[in-house]
Amino acid sequence: MTAVGTPLPRREDARMLAGRGVFLADLAGPGTLHAAFLRSTRPHALIHGVETAAAAELPGVTAVLTAADLGAATVPLLTRPDERFVEAAAFAMRDPRLPCLATGRVRYVGEPIALVLAESRHVAEDALELIEVAYTDLEPVLDPALALGDDAPVLHPHLEDNLAARIACAFGDVAAGHAAAAVTVEETYRMGRHGGVPLECRGVMARPDRRTGRLEVWTSSQIPHQVRTAICAATGWPEDRVRVAVPDVGGGFGTKANVYGEEIAVAIAAERTGREVVWVEDRAEHLVAAAHGRDQVHRARLSVDAEGRILAWEDEFLVDVGAGSLWVAGIVANTAIHLAGPYRIPAFHVRGRAAFTNKTLVAQYRGAGRPEACFALERSLDHAARRLGLSPAKIRRRNLLTGDDLPYPVPLPYRDGVPISYDGADFAACLEDCLRLVPEAEVRRLRAEHPELAIGVGVACYVEATGRGPYESGRVGLTTSGDFAVATGAAAAGQGHETTLAQVAADALGVDVCRVRACGGDTDAVPYGVGTFASRSAVLAGSAVHEAAGRLRARARALAARLLDVPAEKLETEPDGFVLAGTGTRVSWRDLAAELAPGGRLELEPALDEPALFRPPTVTWTMGAHVAVAGVDPETGLVRVLRYGVAHEGGVEINPMIVDGQIKGGVAQGIGGALLEEYTYSDTGQPTSGTFADYLLPGTCEVPAVAVRHRHADTDRNPLNVRGVGESGTIAAYPALAQAVDDALGAGGPGVTATPITPSRVLALAEDVPARDAEAAA
Amino acid sequence: MSDVRVALRVNGRAVEATVPARLGLADFLRDRLGLTGTHLGCEHGVCGACTVLLDGIAVRACLMFAAQAEGGDLWTIEGLHADGRIADLQEAMARHHGLQCGFCTPGFLVTAAELLAEGGRPSEQEVREALSGNVCRCTGYQGIVSAVLETARHRADRGDGPRDGEGAGRSLPAG
Repeated sequence: MTAVGTPLPRREDARMLAGRGVFLADLAGPGTLHAAFLRSTRPHALIHGVETAAAAELPGVTAVLTAADLGAATVPLLTRPDERFVEAAAFAMRDPRLPCLATGRVRYVGEPIALVLAESRHVAEDALELIEVAYTDLEPVLDPALALGDDAPVLHPHLEDNLAARIACAFGDVAAGHAAAAVTVEETYRMGRHGGVPLECRGVMARPDRRTGRLEVWTSSQIPHQVRTAICAATGWPEDRVRVAVPDVGGGFGTKANVYGEEIAVAIAAERTGREVVWVEDRAEHLVAAAHGRDQVHRARLSVDAEGRILAWEDEFLVDVGAGSLWVAGIVANTAIHLAGPYRIPAFHVRGRAAFTNKTLVAQYRGAGRPEACFALERSLDHAARRLGLSPAKIRRRNLLTGDDLPYPVPLPYRDGVPISYDGADFAACLEDCLRLVPEAEVRRLRAEHPELAIGVGVACYVEATGRGPYESGRVGLTTSGDFAVATGAAAAGQGHETTLAQVAADALGVDVCRVRACGGDTDAVPYGVGTFASRSAVLAGSAVHEAAGRLRARARALAARLLDVPAEKLETEPDGFVLAGTGTRVSWRDLAAELAPGGRLELEPALDEPALFRPPTVTWTMGAHVAVAGVDPETGLVRVLRYGVAHEGGVEINPMIVDGQIKGGVAQGIGGALLEEYTYSDTGQPTSGTFADYLLPGTCEVPAVAVRHRHADTDRNPLNVRGVGESGTIAAYPALAQAVDDALGAGGPGVTATPITPSRVLALAEDVPARDAEAAA
Repeated sequence: MSDVRVALRVNGRAVEATVPARLGLADFLRDRLGLTGTHLGCEHGVCGACTVLLDGIAVRACLMFAAQAEGGDLWTIEGLHADGRIADLQEAMARHHGLQCGFCTPGFLVTAAELLAEGGRPSEQEVREALSGNVCRCTGYQGIVSAVLETARHRADRGDGPRDGEGAGRSLPAG
């Protein structure tokens, strides 16, 4: 009986394909108050007054709330690293104390200032136009480097400057490595500001339950338990008074692994009015007010010997976290740690800072620091390879960790304080598998087929910490009908948990998977949880469910033994329940359910309903390699992705179809970030990417079929022998495509140094190629 | 605010309503008729999540007023599902893992229904172009494209021709 490992069709699909998914915007009914937020039109300004009387008088408006009505509630930070990491990495961070509604000052265009509650969204939006805000503009701070200068205006007056976080970590003798180098390459790399852009925008609905005095909140979120914690921290309400649950969630990608002021404001609005309140974000709001991601600049310096072996690696990075980030610790620490890459690096020195600017808040976005780190390291390797006359594959072969090196200790602690040890199998072999996905003959054929395009190939490698703690919870219960209900703290946003967690539970119970129903993301179903992000749910929630199911099965066996008056060891498990060895005497799961019901012989027993918490010893590492074939149109500078392949070293695949889907979908987002997507601002701080005509998403014609090769590597860091995969498709897409463009153009020097690789950047690079070649020859 | 009367057929049934002139077609379908399978992803006509069939043509319900559908024959995902005409496509979408979060899925199914109703054996590139007005943020499109290609092939193998009343819109003169 093994459900794990089979590409079981997804449980979620039937309702989605029928148009019967239940998303946040589908929940409101007659009598629900509709909320609309008044948002700042200024990037940086003092607020002297918010005149709401006219809006409040509009027929159909119930209330207008400002910061004063919310008791100046702020959104608490979501993560702090372990003290051992803080000490080892000289890590420091500041709490920007982000208000739920602006108090006296706005820090980005889109920041919520007031909240109108009305009988319909139309009326609520009409009322917004009647609110007058008295602003005094302040100088906007838009450049993160200038933001850290002595004379920059300080965004958060309780802080002395605009430093959001800093980190520094090192090992080995970097100076000696540089001194011994055959080649040292030094360059600045930029990754543009972009983000998850889930197709469903955000949304929140809250309802006071007048009978119980509790507040029920539904939110389109990846982290309902953390939303509950934040609502209670902001309001002082006890945690057992608030239930937070998620409906079907239309994508998250990290954008919804955040807690927003709007979630807290809507909860308070429902409490204040005693009414059900719903807020459904529209896309215009989303692009300026849902969290952005990435936006990093890296000054990188890589030294290699004459064979291309890494001698020293140095990187100084700066993250623009906009007006603030609840995840600044995660982003900065991830970036620093993942700069170590999947290679033998004898000397390493990384310094990073994050700065506050007058832009939208920043959260994790699929990879959360990993793609940025990967881009700096992989681009530097490609640059060094060109200087040495090596192929991109060859320089990687000479540095990638092999089966002889692994497990491989990196002399740094991970964010959880545990010394890093890559628990992989053979990274170099993974690269070879990747290269085989696009044979050279195929590239020659493409060149013949597309004489109008300059065609190039790029390859890039990554390593990724997955399955991070601190913990996740799970619960498995026998239902009154003799089937099984599974709950966890991991809320799904398209990852297929209803299917995969049922597979895990079914195997641990020894039953057919069709008898197991799994759902996640409800604080009333499991009291504690962390959520779905950082490639963690299969590892963490999966393991918690596995443990809970194992406990349930053991207790059930003991109860069955009691019913038969035999020792439990004599009972064997079978799909329907238990059988006394060597006999036909059985106790089925349905028998147990009946005996546990009133009138049954076990009626006084506690229900068969087992909770479990899984706390991993530390992260487990996924490694992979991407290969991309890009065709560049020399006339327009447009880049077409013609072929794409990913080989990755992962663990047991709970559902191979879903693993495949995670990688392919991740690649699509990587292609978007590498070639198309960017949140842009004018030099006065106004967003200039407020529609999908400006913020470009990859479509059916931009994303090719992606070939995927899975390599299995055992890990002992969780009982399922699984590794995370959610970010594997995205991380290395940026450098792989950058190298493909370099190769297509025959670029010398550092080649592509910034994303998105827009047509204008491609044309500028193409123009620069002869100059760079001459420079290299000189 | 002026109200207007609108009469049309939705999923094969006659519907009459008095609506504000400014009420969008998607809001009308979702809020008045409870047809929440039509999703709003951008409300400016780019993402395609709100696609419905109006007189056989795939249109964006976010870009039309309810009043503009007057006299039309409109089909949403709920209607296409209930009458079974895309059951083969739905089954292929699940098998090819053409959906993850499911939010874009109704829009893709409606757009693909229009293409498939034309009959024939579209190439992969033709399928990709026909679907290029719909955005999926989760899957990377491969499963969706494979599902549509396979469905078209199976229908052509079975000898299904173009269907009356749907898809024919593509060959009608504009306007």
